[in-house]
Amino acid sequence: MIRRNGFTDESLDWRSWLAPLQIADATPLQLEVLDESHAQSRTSPYYLTLAHQPLMLRHRSAAYNAIMYAPGGLPRAERELGAMVVSVSNGCVYCTSVHAQRFEQLARRSDTVEQVFDDPASAGTSERERAIARFAIAVTERPHALGADDIAPLRALGMRDEEIIDLLHAVAIFGWANRLMQNLGEPVLP
Amino acid sequence: MSTPDASNPEIDVIDRAAGLAPGDPLHAARRFRAKVVEASEASHDALLHQPVEGLSTEDRLRVAAHVCTAAGAASLAQHYQAELAAAAGRDAPPSPALPAMLQFAGALTSDPRRGDRAAIEALRSAGLGDAAIVALAQLVAFLAYQLRVVAGLRAMHAGAEGARP
Repeated sequence: MIRRNGFTDESLDWRSWLAPLQIADATPLQLEVLDESHAQSRTSPYYLTLAHQPLMLRHRSAAYNAIMYAPGGLPRAERELGAMVVSVSNGCVYCTSVHAQRFEQLARRSDTVEQVFDDPASAGTSERERAIARFAIAVTERPHALGADDIAPLRALGMRDEEIIDLLHAVAIFGWANRLMQNLGEPVLP
Repeated sequence: MSTPDASNPEIDVIDRAAGLAPGDPLHAARRFRAKVVEASEASHDALLHQPVEGLSTEDRLRVAAHVCTAAGAASLAQHYQAELAAAAGRDAPPSPALPAMLQFAGALTSDPRRGDRAAIEALRSAGLGDAAIVALAQLVAFLAYQLRVVAGLRAMHAGAEGARP
């Protein structure tokens, strides 16, 4: 278990500031979208809150699941690294806990997680991890000022355009996910 | 929807804002993740055009243009302004809740840490129900994603000439 700087890789709960959908009141469309979004969504306050707008949730989940889970392209552990760096950078304790765990499961180590919790800007156990972390922070903090200089380190490491786009998608969708988690409710710490 | 290139499914909102066209290697590289391309465009359409009680498409377009302008995403801001100029209800007065919506959207865009329970209560006090608040939060959060994808693609495009043999 890692606890540093207000972040943790423990499993957390999340409490909604709105009234989550009561599953007994769900329409067939809401049930269908909940089931295609996440395996535990029928008991998740987060998904039950988003289910108030089922079509918006459907397309969000389709994008999210394709970005984070689709085979090929950028290794999934590196997509999780990008997600974790963005979540720390945005101060999203809940998202950080989930994606620190996913990174640990996929990479089978936690050294990078400790570094990201300490300082995402300098984190990484290899040149490739450091380049991914720096790119994730640049996209998160100064999207208006991104330029060729931000892409060059990734290309220098041999990343193809498809892999850079995978990383860009993973980093950008945590701009989306963090904002929902932090503005519709709050994490419940153990 | 009412986008100018609705007749050409090969070019979506993100392509257009990033300056990509069929034949461009980056346009093709995006299609490696066709599901992401489709879901991003479908999200855009649903978030702006799906009917929501108490949240008009026109006010959503005003929020989107405001967010993109504030974030320095000029090409996307132009897109939402053009959609607003072409919207059926463009001349109807905005909702009295629009100032509260813009304040919520601006804070959420510039720093996601600024979100707090009081911001949600302010939207409720302005008359928005929970389903409308979910729609507004999804829209603003989606824009954070969309403008970053566009910015990243533009940076890749800018660097492509030097990097390719």
